[in-house]
Amino acid sequence: MKLVLYSGGDEEGNRFLNLRALELTHVTSPKLTFIPSSSHDAEDDFRFFVDEFSEFGIQRFMLFCVDTPYTKTILQEVLKSDLIFLGGGNTFYFLKHLKKAGMFEHFKKFLKRGGVLCGLSAGAIVFTPHVHTASFPHFDRDDNPFDMKNLSAMRLVNFEFFPHYKNSKRYDAELLRHSKKSKRPLYACPDGGGIIVEGDQITFSGKCSQFYQGKKLVLSQYKQA
Amino acid sequence: MPENRRMVNTKLKESRPSKETTKENFGYPKFKEIDGSHPFKSAVPEAVVEYQVRSRHGGQVAFFNFELARELGLIPENHPPELTKELKEEILHTFSIVIINEYDLMNNFNFPKEEIRPKTYMATRYLQLQHPCKKGTTSGDGRSIWNGQITNKGKSYDVSSCGTGATKLSPACNINKKFYQTGDPTVSYGCGYSEKDEGLSSLFFSEVLAKNGLETERVLTIIEFPKGLAINVRVHENLLRPSHMFNHLKQNNLPTLKRVVDYYIERQIKNKVWKNVPTDPKSYYDYFLMKVVETFSQMSANFEDQYIFCWLDWDGDNILMDGGIIDYGSIRQFGLYHHEYRYDDVQRWSTSIKEQKQKARYIVQTFAQIVDYIKYEKKKSIDDFKNHHAMQTFDKRFLDYKSYNILVKIGFNAKYTEILLENCRKEVEDFRSDFTYFEMAKSVKGPKKVPDGINWNAIFCMRDILRELPQIFLSRGINGSVNQAEFLDIIKSSYATKADLKRSLRRDLKIKSFQKNYIKLINLVSKKTKEAPEKVLLDVSMRSSVINKYDRVTGDSISTIVEKVMSKKPKLSAEEIALILKEFTECQNLNPDKERRPSNFESQKEQSPIVKGMLQIVREFRDGI
Repeated sequence: MKLVLYSGGDEEGNRFLNLRALELTHVTSPKLTFIPSSSHDAEDDFRFFVDEFSEFGIQRFMLFCVDTPYTKTILQEVLKSDLIFLGGGNTFYFLKHLKKAGMFEHFKKFLKRGGVLCGLSAGAIVFTPHVHTASFPHFDRDDNPFDMKNLSAMRLVNFEFFPHYKNSKRYDAELLRHSKKSKRPLYACPDGGGIIVEGDQITFSGKCSQFYQGKKLVLSQYKQA
Repeated sequence: MPENRRMVNTKLKESRPSKETTKENFGYPKFKEIDGSHPFKSAVPEAVVEYQVRSRHGGQVAFFNFELARELGLIPENHPPELTKELKEEILHTFSIVIINEYDLMNNFNFPKEEIRPKTYMATRYLQLQHPCKKGTTSGDGRSIWNGQITNKGKSYDVSSCGTGATKLSPACNINKKFYQTGDPTVSYGCGYSEKDEGLSSLFFSEVLAKNGLETERVLTIIEFPKGLAINVRVHENLLRPSHMFNHLKQNNLPTLKRVVDYYIERQIKNKVWKNVPTDPKSYYDYFLMKVVETFSQMSANFEDQYIFCWLDWDGDNILMDGGIIDYGSIRQFGLYHHEYRYDDVQRWSTSIKEQKQKARYIVQTFAQIVDYIKYEKKKSIDDFKNHHAMQTFDKRFLDYKSYNILVKIGFNAKYTEILLENCRKEVEDFRSDFTYFEMAKSVKGPKKVPDGINWNAIFCMRDILRELPQIFLSRGINGSVNQAEFLDIIKSSYATKADLKRSLRRDLKIKSFQKNYIKLINLVSKKTKEAPEKVLLDVSMRSSVINKYDRVTGDSISTIVEKVMSKKPKLSAEEIALILKEFTECQNLNPDKERRPSNFESQKEQSPIVKGMLQIVREFRDGI
């Protein structure tokens, strides 16, 4: 299984993760699919996605929206990609539509055949067992527009992911409080940082922190190329 | 107090202190320019009917177009989208008016002097086919008056209001040979009032179309009154229609016809829309004709390709001289090419979308007749202009625009489009022919009645195939193709039944040809630009995803959205409508070259719940009429 979890941030900050993600495909001219969290403004996001990855010589891109109807033909093409990238946005909205479209099963099969699954912010939170981290802290959380109760997600990893983390007392207080109730470690990553999962191996990029059982641990940075 | 009761009971009273004096303090000086003055009145006095107007009470500002008002200089550039007390009063003072019509005068209704505005306002005369007199001697603005003209940054705009009272130019007045009291409940259209939902429909529709580069009237403000009535104020650079000229042609009134034409030309020059206009009299009018040909060939090709249904007819009504859309009552945008749809106007059926070109052509033919009449001062028969060079130019330019439009729809950028139009006309035509084959396909079910007319459903959504095909080619490789079943699966609309999707030898061949010719265009651009075909395809794919977005407004979706806005409880304020409109039109801006927001692939903007609901409606009606 090959996953790349991005926190967020700009092109420059994510360059390392982008490169790693492409390397993980082990293909010289990989085919990339971008799945935005919402079809609204998706074309803008797609254009930026293309701009960012075409710098590495990539030419084959697809845009696929899960919240608009699509045909089997397109879905099959998407699943033939070498890398699928889930964008950020409202985690609850994205989760609802990913589930509705039955994408979790498709992604699992995609990973099984060696595809690289990337996610940024909301797109990465959905890789974890549930999306609770999107609902706190109160000063920086997603709205739950449908008042979704079932927040279970893909369970591809056995940790929680907190994107856009800022090393501050008020963030830490909320994350520590949450970690006391959770059975799993929570990895908080600042923008530009992220987590690379390759099989059983987890590596971190950027100054990430672990919150577990009421304690915070700053993780050593992945050696950047 | 109800408007009609007030009118009947009010008798002339001695003047009270004028409200005009307090108006000076409002701080929106540009509004004062809108006082009924308009150069057309003095240029062609016989082409208008002037009315005195008085204040109409009980109105509220239901909507104000801040963006347009800034463009017109009515409010400063930095004015917040906020309806201050002063601004509200200024809007009401300027636009909440009603004419003192022939009925009022005959019945000696007297109105307080201080409520009567110093200047007269004009209703213009123009040809209308629904009038019994087919020469336009009695037809024109039946429930509208022109508020005036406003100039800002060297450009002048016409301002007119709909719902300001019954004029003597309405069809009801002339069919029944009587004058009507404004608000008379026994006649609908002829009563001189208009409704809030008409204003909102025009507003949402026109703003979306304007955002997408189409010429159109735009709504400046809506003033609502009890019982759903409203005054809807519209603005455009030039609100003259061909029918403003055609009536004088029909009446063989050369001096007036010439004055209207001259007025129009001078206005276009003044507004810098037309440049380098020749000065010698004959070339002057030839230039005018050439511009008309260009405008109407482009407009009719655009309407056809963007599936805009606009009931064009010989009277030259329902369209502006510059090809702009006016009167949204009969305007629709179809999701598919529903080329058999006809609107049922009780006494007659409308034209269909594919007949629009012929009607536009006939309008051009009439202009050829007009120009000849002005140049040689002798009116010839319209039939004499069937083969006029203007008609040949129209046909040629129409095809040019069709070719241009198909390339834009595919997603080719300006540079690629130019290359293909200059070097590969045949290949473009070949692809357009395949495209038209699928676009024209109709349901085996045959014609069906729809709420306001008749339709024979189109079955294929061309936007879907243009959006998905480049992605599939990118994924499968430029030599990969889509098989017949896949192609039909992508292109089928919600109207297509199983029987409609039946394969045939001809259809299978067309599917192959469609893709072969599509790739041919990509390869031709690649060859000419020396760019890899994948690069061209990628650019096309990205542009096409915007141009051919899954959700695009249709006439039905606009009507449903307006119902939603009208029924919203608590009622939406003018500012809220302005905000929703801005958000909605941004979502419907299908221009791939629009300014992009910075992104890190993270959708930052959340739509408001009401706009989400509106977009859901757009989606639901995306294939409709």
